Amino acid sequence: MSVHLIFEFLTAFVGTIAFALLFQVPKEYYVNCGLAGGCGWICYKLLLAGCGLFGSTFFATVLVVFLSRLSAVRRHCPVTIFLVAGIFPLVPGAGIYWTAYYVVTDQLAKASDRGFQTLKIAVAIVLGILFVFEFPQKWFRWAERGTAVGN
Amino acid sequence: MGDFILETVEKEHNRMALNVAALAGDILLASGAEIFRVEETINRIAHAYGIDSCDPFVLSSGFFLTADSNSDQNFAWVRHIPLSATRLDRVTAVNQLSREIEHGFYTPEEAYQKLQDIQQMPAKRNLCQILASGVGSGCFCYLFGGDPVDCIVAFIAGLLLYVYLLCVVKGQLSKIATNISGGMFVTFIAVLIYQLGLGHHLSEIIIGSIIPLVPGVAFTNGIRDIADQDYIAGAVRMLDALLVTFSIAMGVGLVMIGYHHFVGGAILP
Repeated sequence: MSVHLIFEFLTAFVGTIAFALLFQVPKEYYVNCGLAGGCGWICYKLLLAGCGLFGSTFFATVLVVFLSRLSAVRRHCPVTIFLVAGIFPLVPGAGIYWTAYYVVTDQLAKASDRGFQTLKIAVAIVLGILFVFEFPQKWFRWAERGTAVGN
Repeated sequence: MGDFILETVEKEHNRMALNVAALAGDILLASGAEIFRVEETINRIAHAYGIDSCDPFVLSSGFFLTADSNSDQNFAWVRHIPLSATRLDRVTAVNQLSREIEHGFYTPEEAYQKLQDIQQMPAKRNLCQILASGVGSGCFCYLFGGDPVDCIVAFIAGLLLYVYLLCVVKGQLSKIATNISGGMFVTFIAVLIYQLGLGHHLSEIIIGSIIPLVPGVAFTNGIRDIADQDYIAGAVRMLDALLVTFSIAMGVGLVMIGYHHFVGGAILP
């Protein structure tokens, strides 16, 4: 089980970096992006059994946004570059697919089920992002290092 | 006479400074920065160059900027900024530059030159982007429950998706058409390879390979704009994300309908 988790972490790490590249993130930030994405996914996986879809997505998003803000303060750059890539593993791509699939195959009850579930995941992500951005900036100051121009 | 020259020099300085502020905002907004960052950067640059009052009003597709200084002249800018690809490298570079301007490292002319350099920054090479799309698709296919063979198929589909986007579409189709056709294309490739006997879970393959189309940037930025109470920009971006999502789903669905007609009945696990 734990080997499996490590492998999933690595996959999420690499996958997140691939998307960071697609959004043209400068390469010195890849590792931070990958860490945010990988940790978010593992958090989601570990909590899935206990907290359900909504809870695990919410807490995973909170972790991703927290790590992104931390990286932004530490590396002196906009938080967007970590957040956008790191959130990707949590975005409900599967939900979009299954909703479309059930609509097409005329299983409308299942389609509305899936569509509603996708919406729920999206709302969990929204709440997670809103929640962490309410934290005051000074909570992250301790992570700062160096005296580079532009803190 | 001396006063007059001094005033002219100051006017020139202010005009250039506002040019810098406006161009910085222009690049940020076009590259996918949040609204509050655009406003903050414009204000920061204007203040760093000693402009007393500067009022940017930023929407997701353009901004208005008025400013006045001690001298009698007022400035007004209106810029329209069309939607374009996400360039987080530019966001990072402009952000860094604005901090350096704040520390007084550049005259307005130098800063303007720097901004033009940032505008010319090349994107990652096409080959890198295509590979990244493939790797991303393969990885996400695994995360969503595919086995290694499925991942290879998703890798190929993701790869071909970006070949299609970068070499065939080249940004010439509307966003909706791009995403519908992209969804169709990817599903078609996945179905084709699946029918050839490679891959075990068609659904996971398709889920992995549509991920590069998913509007993560619009969605995340939309939420953040709404959180910052930039409701108009946030709503526009959320609408953008929603439309793209529907387009992808429609593209996938259309090919699925065709596939079902062709093969007949519900065949997917």
